[in-house]
Amino acid sequence: MKTIGLCAEFKSCQGKRLFCLLPVLILAACTTTTIDEFRQGETGIESHESVVLLGRRQGSTYETRAEFVECVGNRMSSGADSIRVVPEQEFVDAMFPWFEPRTAPVHSEDMQTLMAQQQVAEKISEYGIRYIVWLDGQTETSNRIGSISCTIGPGGGGCFGFGSWEDDSNFEARVWDVNSLVNVGTISADASGQSYMPAIVIPIPLIARVEANACSSLASQLKQFVYGN
Amino acid sequence: MSELGKNRVPLQTRQVLLLLGSLLLAACGVNNISVVGSYPQPNVNKLPLSIGVFYDDELRNHTYVEYTDMGQEEYRISSGETHIELFNSILPSMFERVVLLESPEAATSAGIDAVFSPSIEEFQLALPQKTQLDVFEVWLKYNMRLVTPDGGYIADWVLTAYGKTTKETLRSTEAGINGATVAALRDLASNFTLGFTSIPDVRDWLVSR
Repeated sequence: MKTIGLCAEFKSCQGKRLFCLLPVLILAACTTTTIDEFRQGETGIESHESVVLLGRRQGSTYETRAEFVECVGNRMSSGADSIRVVPEQEFVDAMFPWFEPRTAPVHSEDMQTLMAQQQVAEKISEYGIRYIVWLDGQTETSNRIGSISCTIGPGGGGCFGFGSWEDDSNFEARVWDVNSLVNVGTISADASGQSYMPAIVIPIPLIARVEANACSSLASQLKQFVYGN
Repeated sequence: MSELGKNRVPLQTRQVLLLLGSLLLAACGVNNISVVGSYPQPNVNKLPLSIGVFYDDELRNHTYVEYTDMGQEEYRISSGETHIELFNSILPSMFERVVLLESPEAATSAGIDAVFSPSIEEFQLALPQKTQLDVFEVWLKYNMRLVTPDGGYIADWVLTAYGKTTKETLRSTEAGINGATVAALRDLASNFTLGFTSIPDVRDWLVSR
């Protein structure tokens, strides 16, 4: 388990550094991210192989946002140790109708039935897919407190008040190995943070970048996991 | 007569009045939405069948109207064209030959094995402002009918579909409705293509051929 606290990094800032970081501090409030990894099998990836990240959308109360899936994909496909990531929509369209919300395999065992379909096996091979990563989760906002009132008149306008809320991101990534057709591991990312919005004439947002931190932490861990580190 | 530049309404006030006027006009009118979507071709084995497809006028011109609580038209959703586009995209991937029929009577001379005619029985819409949920939802209920070229019964079944899109800060209601409808149509297409041969009457007909 790994816990990353954004505020802890800022506490080490001194003098000029702190001055330089002031604008960042204004825009970013405290966030804590916890990563858990549960490995069930060996992993590794060749340069010609790729990964596809898919959002789970079977739930009736929420669905994994495509923007989050894209964010994790972009992070995984960038940097020195980048991995080829097939865009979600491109893959789902190419595999139609096998990966739609109601037809997508739910368990790794279902992949065996799916891979028995010639067209499916051919497309997966065409894309060089080695791992299918299922992302499931959402960000919830709670504990909204305070109020801000704004007025406008002939002489101008302004806002006064204070608002605060808490964001919680809970995401889980299940990694299916297409070669062995088994679930090789699960990584979960839990991030939480408190955002503040004081308003003295103008509202000053101090936003906790909870989902963005969950995205970057999960992507880094997934990269390491897929490489087998 | 007034002197130029005097007693004129200030620019800012005029802009605010213009904005308020536009908002009032927008609030009074019905929003017309023409559903637009693209549908991929399914990756399924083609059945060795020659199928004629007939779209009736009700499907071609399908329009759903969502009313406000006061009974006034709020959204008029035209989805006929996108329905036709959907079936024209999936049917050629499911059957060896697909013939578009102008009328059911044209089937006898078209050299086909069966006539397929889909029709919408129900279209339901749930908007976030009414359900207090963060999603736009669309339910569709179809009646699918398969008959012989001379009109004899083969199969008649009901197919339901569901689609939703999440409410986003910068996404308009029109885009949300469009997204949910397209998602429902994709759901319909996936269940139709994967479930076609499992319909008991269709299966019996295929076995008897």
